[in-house]
Amino acid sequence: MIICKDIHKKYRSGHLTKTVLRGVNFTINPTDRVGLLGRNGAGKSTLIKMIGGVEMPTSGAVTRSMTCSWPLGFHGAFQGSLTGYDNARFIARIYDKPYQEMREFVEEFTELGPQLRMPVKTYSSGMRARLAFSLSLAIDFDCYLIDEVIMVGDRNFQNKCRVEFFEKRKDRAIVLASHSAETIKKYCNRAIILHEGVATPYDDVGKAIKLYSKL
Amino acid sequence: MRARSALRHFLDGWRVQKRVIHALMIRELHTRFGRDNIGFLWIMVEPLLFAGAVGALWTVVKGPQSHGMGIVAFVASGYIPLTFMRHSFSKAANVFVANGSLLYHRQIKITDFIFVRILIEAIGSMMAYVFLMLALYNFGLFPIPANPAMLIAGWSIYVLFVLSFCMIIAPLSEMSEVVEKFLPVSTYIAIPLSGTFNMASWLTPEARSYLLWSPLVSGMEMMRYGLFGSVVTPYYDVSRSVGISLVFLLIGLSLSRHVRRILVVQ
Repeated sequence: MIICKDIHKKYRSGHLTKTVLRGVNFTINPTDRVGLLGRNGAGKSTLIKMIGGVEMPTSGAVTRSMTCSWPLGFHGAFQGSLTGYDNARFIARIYDKPYQEMREFVEEFTELGPQLRMPVKTYSSGMRARLAFSLSLAIDFDCYLIDEVIMVGDRNFQNKCRVEFFEKRKDRAIVLASHSAETIKKYCNRAIILHEGVATPYDDVGKAIKLYSKL
Repeated sequence: MRARSALRHFLDGWRVQKRVIHALMIRELHTRFGRDNIGFLWIMVEPLLFAGAVGALWTVVKGPQSHGMGIVAFVASGYIPLTFMRHSFSKAANVFVANGSLLYHRQIKITDFIFVRILIEAIGSMMAYVFLMLALYNFGLFPIPANPAMLIAGWSIYVLFVLSFCMIIAPLSEMSEVVEKFLPVSTYIAIPLSGTFNMASWLTPEARSYLLWSPLVSGMEMMRYGLFGSVVTPYYDVSRSVGISLVFLLIGLSLSRHVRRILVVQ
């Protein structure tokens, strides 16, 4: 389980203060597929970063009793000047996974071939998404945090994700942040609407989407 | 029972820590030096060039001997720790932002960045020191260390202080941009406080008593004593140096903790 308890987040820049989250409470259970709905700037990425421990809440706490991936998104997690293989090697080292297995999985999943020997900064966002997903799938987390990025993939990639998440890993949790109701409907069985710094959970995804479209 | 689970907790943490430091070291060496030509041996080049060039210059200006020590050896033994200090300080500023992408992995802590950078700088400096020692010894320009244990102890005190000071610079540079702007000039002004170019025994007792508040001076005096032996009269204060470093380390760790809470990661 992952429990978010009364999370507040404020960002300060000089004299300006922006409050993004004002008291967010919810729980992610081991097999939940949670869709995080919210408009641009509602705080979806911020919340995902708090759950993943990338940034710390101003007050409140996140308690994790299952392993949880880093937020898979457009930014972060990779060193752009290193090659795909070097990044894989680094991730294998810090998560204590045998590199050989990881390498094979990454080669098969990403289908990037010789491009893996190039610096990651030369990758398109779709290629980055492939690399990020393959690495986190190779480590095998209990819960995956996905920030938008699943939409940049082509059909082949989307199919692979479906197989990995919905056939091989039915028992894992997913938190998927998106402003696209379509994606949430396709992947999730629970939804949380993030609006004006407060999170409202819904067990009925259809109802959540209907409410979200009126925001 | 509780003691045992605490021990296991500690050992698990220790294993993770070792893994992270190992991975970060390799990553840092790759990103900074690449795999081409001499690779990470580049880390030795700058201290070597500095020590060599300044040593040659001083020989021309001041003659081959000073206070009974070979001038090249004196300059080299001062310059290598000095470049270590200056590099470490400049690398500590903004280290958190530069490595932001690493914070996506929860097992990596911001203090690991500082530790790894200082460790790499320290190892590079030691390699440069040994290399220069062997090279210059062949030309009769460098003594065999009279007391290697003292040399290493002095170096350890020097490194400990630089590490503790970097632990403060890193979070401060995150809290205020002024720190980064003033860092180069303050490092330059601090050179007299590092004991690089003079022994404490050459100074008046009053000036000496002030300088001994600097752990860098104590460390450098011990290194020079370990190198040249009884030719020099060293002044140092081990417990004061270690004490000051530990206080700085404590301040730095609590500042880092504070900064981690407000750090914005892209």
